[in-house]
Amino acid sequence: MLVAPLFGLIIALYAWPVINILWLGISDPELGMQNFRPLFTKSSLVKILWTTIRVCLITTLCSVVIGYLIAYTMVNLVGRERNWMLTLVLISFWVSVLVRAFSWLTLLGRNGLFNAALVGSGLIEEPISMIRNEFGVLIGMVHYMVPYAVLPLLANMQGIDHRIMDASRSLGAGSFLTFRRIFLPLTKPGVIASSLLVFIISLGFYVTPALLGGGRVLMVAEYVSVQILVTVQWGIAAMLATLLLFGVFALLYIMSRFMKIGEVFGARP
Amino acid sequence: MQDKMFYKDLAFTAAKDFKCGKMGRRDFLYLCALAGVATTSVITGDAEAAANEIVLWNWGGDAVKCHTSAFGTAFTKESGLPVKYDTSGPLQGKIKEMVNSGNVTADVADADGFDAISLGKSGHLEKIDYSVVDKKKVLDGYAWDYGVSIIFYGYAFMYDTKKFKGNPPSTWEDFFNTKKYSGKRSLYKWANGSLEGALMADGVTKDSVYPMDLDRAINKIKSIKSDTIFWGSGSEAQQMIVNGEVSMGMVWLNRAKAVEADTNGRYRLNMNEAIAMPGAYLIPKGNPAGRANVMRFIASCQDAERQIKLLRCHGMTPSNPEAFGMIPDDLKRFAVTSEENLSRVLLNDPIWWAQNGGNAVNKFLEAIG
Repeated sequence: MLVAPLFGLIIALYAWPVINILWLGISDPELGMQNFRPLFTKSSLVKILWTTIRVCLITTLCSVVIGYLIAYTMVNLVGRERNWMLTLVLISFWVSVLVRAFSWLTLLGRNGLFNAALVGSGLIEEPISMIRNEFGVLIGMVHYMVPYAVLPLLANMQGIDHRIMDASRSLGAGSFLTFRRIFLPLTKPGVIASSLLVFIISLGFYVTPALLGGGRVLMVAEYVSVQILVTVQWGIAAMLATLLLFGVFALLYIMSRFMKIGEVFGARP
Repeated sequence: MQDKMFYKDLAFTAAKDFKCGKMGRRDFLYLCALAGVATTSVITGDAEAAANEIVLWNWGGDAVKCHTSAFGTAFTKESGLPVKYDTSGPLQGKIKEMVNSGNVTADVADADGFDAISLGKSGHLEKIDYSVVDKKKVLDGYAWDYGVSIIFYGYAFMYDTKKFKGNPPSTWEDFFNTKKYSGKRSLYKWANGSLEGALMADGVTKDSVYPMDLDRAINKIKSIKSDTIFWGSGSEAQQMIVNGEVSMGMVWLNRAKAVEADTNGRYRLNMNEAIAMPGAYLIPKGNPAGRANVMRFIASCQDAERQIKLLRCHGMTPSNPEAFGMIPDDLKRFAVTSEENLSRVLLNDPIWWAQNGGNAVNKFLEAIG
């Protein structure tokens, strides 16, 4: 009863406008499901969706692995060193996405710092093409996502009782066995939470692929933006947005079959 | 969205009655709540204040400074109306959304010719009053029903003079010939200009470019796809050339002078076969300042001297034929309507783009993605 006003507010200010926009997917230019047909007839739309999913999956994998390493290190440090690492992670969290993108362009460009060093030292002859392609996009996205990956993992690892590992060692297991059979499974909720978070955020990425991809890595968010602003095909844009939204819901549903979603978001088992 | 108009009107008449004492406060507040209008804005007459200024919707950056020095200051002196700026960039979808929502906050949008035709057809723009705006002060054919061209901008390419010393490229065919002229290329991401360049490279003469054979153009683009990077904004285009990422890069002409300066003349502009794009000043339907004021403003922007001022500051070429002869010598090379260039350029067809633009952009994006 007490929750009803909050619920009403959420519906009015959040759910209703979102539904209003998604409604365009089946009502523009005329009522019906015709906007969904291009998904089956235009291979290019499928290619864009596949590019998006592929880039996001690779980003998630790399970010979570790097994030895991960082979180693991942080958990095993104490006091000041841990605080330092936390500060560094948080600061990189707060740097604007545009600043990052342009910095990568300068750093990794043909005459940038990295290539200049490699060519200058004689290791390679021609500068490597590290930006304006999918590789550059992945670098930019992983760089942005690592802090997002670290934080849930850190929270999860901090909750693991240190004494369990000591107990395992005292029973004769080596350090690698302890890690593999005790620590790793205990961090599973953290890994899942972190992966979900990174994947879902990456799906909506626009600026980084647009700048670092050289126009050749077309992802869904940018395509939707073009349909709304330039080609004024609002129906297609809303249809893609609906697809993304329900895709994410479907993903969450599938995950919930394998584990309690509540646990991922912090509830105790 | 006529409901919104009705409610706005309802709120205004209610405000008048309230001020005269004909309506009690409770009833007035109730009416305002119904109409969804903030009561303060109606009572203090905010809405009427909006009518006494011109809001020019442009693309930000240098545009604000240049529009002020070229058009704004002079117009304010003549008419007493201040000129303000909305720098969010009037893309077609944004203009349409603004008019649909009923909350029109801009008077003039500095948009493209094809926007004028496309949005005019769908009823989102005010008709230009040609008794105030002078049709003769615009290049023939670029004064449409729902928009008038004040400037021309354009696409052309710049090439590396150091790399192509003895044999400078001069046509789009050279641009698309990656065997003879090695190195990377850059093209505009949203198809405009890139498609025309591709067709001209494939052997289509300037007169037969429109209506465009999309498939032919896209195939030509695909042929150099692996050597091409695509830019979406003027600064990206400039950066790609200045950073040495491309040996031939397509740019917006207003950037060309800055690029030549930044690269110390190493990259030179080639105006042969440049594509001239007509800009258009449009008026979203229901603009706050009203028809009379906004027509006066647009008419004032047609003044030849002011257009030359804009050219100096911003690099945008005048559309007033009187101004063509007044283009200063050092800028003649960069202006599409200067006499040396007018015969060499391809004039973009806004009608084709209004009808087929959406489809063209999508096909292009899908081909390069």
